[in-house]
This record gives sequence, structure tokens and C-alpha cells, in this order.
Amino acid sequence: MKQTPQEKKIQKNMQPGVITLSGFLGNDNRHYHDIIDEDRRTLEKLSITPEEIADRLQYFTDLAWDSYDGSIIIDDVYQVEYKSYRGRIPCPFPHAGMYPKGTITLKNLNCGKEICWTPLNIHLIREHCFFEGKGSPHRIEPSEVIQILFK
Amino acid sequence: MVLSVFPVSLSYNSMFISILITIGIVAGIGGFLALLLVIAESTLANYGECTITINEKKELKVKGGSSLLNILNNNKIFLSSACGGRGSCGFCKCKVIEGGGPLLPTETPFLDEDEKKNNIRLACQVKVKQDIKIEISTGIFAVHEFTGTVTKIKDLTHDIKELTIEITNPKNIDFKAGQYVQFVAPRYERSRQSVTRAYSISSSPEQKDLIKLIIKKVPDGLCTTYIHEYLKEGDTVSFTGPFGDFIIKDTQNDMIFIAGGSGKAPIISMLEYLNTHNSKRRLVYFFGARTKKDLYLTELFEKLEKELKDFAYVPILSRPEESSEWKGKTGYIMPYLKDFIADPTKTEAYLCGSPGMIDAVTKELHELKISDDNIFYDSFS
Repeated sequence: MKQTPQEKKIQKNMQPGVITLSGFLGNDNRHYHDIIDEDRRTLEKLSITPEEIADRLQYFTDLAWDSYDGSIIIDDVYQVEYKSYRGRIPCPFPHAGMYPKGTITLKNLNCGKEICWTPLNIHLIREHCFFEGKGSPHRIEPSEVIQILFK
Repeated sequence: MVLSVFPVSLSYNSMFISILITIGIVAGIGGFLALLLVIAESTLANYGECTITINEKKELKVKGGSSLLNILNNNKIFLSSACGGRGSCGFCKCKVIEGGGPLLPTETPFLDEDEKKNNIRLACQVKVKQDIKIEISTGIFAVHEFTGTVTKIKDLTHDIKELTIEITNPKNIDFKAGQYVQFVAPRYERSRQSVTRAYSISSSPEQKDLIKLIIKKVPDGLCTTYIHEYLKEGDTVSFTGPFGDFIIKDTQNDMIFIAGGSGKAPIISMLEYLNTHNSKRRLVYFFGARTKKDLYLTELFEKLEKELKDFAYVPILSRPEESSEWKGKTGYIMPYLKDFIADPTKTEAYLCGSPGMIDAVTKELHELKISDDNIFYDSFS
């Protein structure tokens, strides 16, 4: 598959050891374009947009931020914990901007399921519709995330 | 049927030849243009010798064509940069008075309106193509590139290590308590390139032949994984510094230190400095942690409590395990702050830690009428 220099740069940035230790593709051998395309089709089937998912993740992130790195219960259903770290991280897609280092863990107390994301995940979903490759530590499965965040 | 095939085949051949000729012409034009670009790059884009005037005093004669950041680095003037000049961190700001060309779209996200009006630019995005006049903080001239040997790696908690680095070249470092260095982790088996990260110095500024750094492991972090899992005693390391204006203000105001995790590093350096200089200021250090296993260097602070005239060390646990039999303060730091503040206009707060903690504590300090002018924290938090 032929790639533009820009696409090659993005694919390189997503490899382990470039921006993060584990990278953004996990054990997914597909090109990032194919990962995005498949996840976009999944979202269409589920009748939801990347922006709606990003907005929901941001909603929990903002509320958890005020918990001072503690754990809080939101809307009586979601247990959310924000762990922030010093420093910032760039996006693998080349553009200006750095994103805070941190992890947000949410447990849906109704179904018992848990997901974890980073501030960069929210940007990647909103701006690039990129949920990361399968097996990546911060891969967010679109079908699962809906069950956990919107129930 | 046979007769009709012959002319069709001829027609295919001539079409094929036409396509080949067209491709040849297009490729030829493309090659010619590429050649022109190469020639233009080496002749027209040869900017020759340019002069960089710094603070209207120092002049550097340099070969034009590279970024301002690179050229300054090559001339041993080290602006802070965490991304190696890729335009993604926004640290390498400096004032370009003349010759910097127009502001680029890659810079604008990092600059506020005041900075744009004042000609602040990102040095990594400014290409030196002509004589250029810049202004940089005079503190930058004190920044050097150092190499040293790691003489000790000590586990302070389950996820925090203390590095002691004996400086070998140059032999000494001059820094102010609270400043940081930019540590270079070389390429190793789990990274594809060297990475640079900022860490506060925890040792006393009086000790000039070594520095100590306190480093918490960040999940999926390239540099902290190197330090925690690959760096060994005896290894040679390099860093640049000192950087930062998170330093003790020269007043006699009361001081509140608030730091959790590895944020303790610059606070230790500040307290050691105040102790060495027999400070009479009223001091308190609130150290926020989750559990007892996150506490460290407690003996050092107990020693400082005895030696400093008016200093209290207050560890506070947000989630003490029942089995730990913790008898100290619990919960968050914020409710305890008001007990120390005698006069908010004469109280300074020094914060270091996670952005979440800094944000929460700053809100509380505002409630307690401490103004932003008296709240200080690391710019790289």
C-alpha cells in the first residue's frame, strides 16, 4: 500500500517506543486508516457519532478532575477515578498541541463493566475517529463503550 | 476475423507507445523540476551567514537555514524544549524583535494574545534566513549541557526512585532551589529514539558536584520506564539545565509547601536551602498521599523540623488502610490549609505535583484570599 510521507509519519508515530511505550496500534496489524474505517462503520450501525462519545468521555473526565485524584460517584451509576501525572503528550497525528498525561477509570456500577481512557483518547476520537488498534492498552471498543457510558 | 485482429493490434501498439511517450515526458518534466528544486535549495536557499543579536548585546555569526532553536543549541544556548524541536511542546518561547518572518499556524496554538502582540515565537518554528534580533531570559546563559555518572539508585516507594548523579563534565552545576533539568533518556530496546523529560532537582543547591532527582514511574512512559527498569548504577547520563523560575521569593512571608508524589523533589531542595541559610520564616509542608506506603523520606523531614526554627511537616493520607494504624491526618489537604494562614497577604504557596492536585489546591488558596501573585508552581506540571 502506497502512503504519503504524512501517512508514513503518522504510522511511525503510532509504533511502540515513539510517543508512548506501547504505541497506539497494539497487536493490530491493520493500517490505521483501516482501523478508523471499521470503527466508523461500527458507529454508523450504532447510530452514534465520535463527537457524542468524546463529549460523554469529556463529561466524566471533567467531573472526575474535581475529585483531586480521588474516586467519585457520578449520577449514582458511575464510579470514576482520575489519576493525573506531570507532563504532556503529543498526538500521533502531526499537528500542534499537547495533551495532559493521566488515566481516567470508569466503572458502571449497574453492569460492573469498566473502561479506562486518557485525555489524548478523547482528542483522538473527536478529531480523528481513532479508537486505537486492538490490543493497545487504551483501545476503546465503540460497541462496548456505548454499553458502559450510556446505560 | 483474423484480418480484423491485425489493425486492432496495430492500434493497441500505437496507443501503448503514445502512453509510454507521455509517461516519459511527464517523468522528464518531473525529474527536471526536482533537479531545479535541488539546485535552488543549494543555491537560492543558501542564506549564507546571518547574525543573531541576543538581548542587544551578544552577537552570533551563524550559517542560515536551520531553526533558531537548533542554531542556539549548536552555540550552547539551551532554550527549554521537551519535544526536540518538533513544535509540539511549546516550551521554546523567545521574543523575536526583528527578522523572524511571519507567525506560523504551527505556533499560534501555543501563544496567547499578549504573547502574539509582544512578538513571542517558538524558536523551533522560526527559521533563520536573515539577520535576526531576539530577546531571551538572561538565566538561559546559565544553562549548560552536563554529563554525569549515576552513583546511586534508591527505591523511595513502590513507584518512586531517587537518582544520584555525580557530575563529570563540566564538574559543577549552579542552580537555585526549585529549578529543574532536562534529562535525556537514550534510545533503548523499548524506544525508537532518545527522549527528553523535565525533572526537578531534589538536592541542595549548595552541593554543586552532584544532583539528585526523584522520579515516579508513569504508566506507558518512555523516559520513566527507562529510568525505573533499564538505568543502572555506574551508567553515564546527560542532561541540560538548570531551568525554571519556580524558586523561593526573596521575602520574609510565611511559606506553605504543598506537594504529593515525586513533587516532593523541589520542596526538599528549597527546605535544605532555607535550613542552610538559617531561615526564620514560618514554614509548613503538607504532603498528600493515598496510603502509608506512598510516604517517603519521613526521617529527613523530622530532622528538618528539629533544625529549622519554625517548620512543620504534615503528611495527610486520603485512603489509609485500616491495617496501617495511621494516626495522622486523613482526607484531602485543602481543609487543613486555613489553620496555617495567619495573613493571606503575607503567605506564599509553593505547589508541586499532579495537575489535578495543583488545580484543586489553587482553588482553595483563592478561597482563602491568597492571590495568584503568591501562588507558585512548576511550569511543566
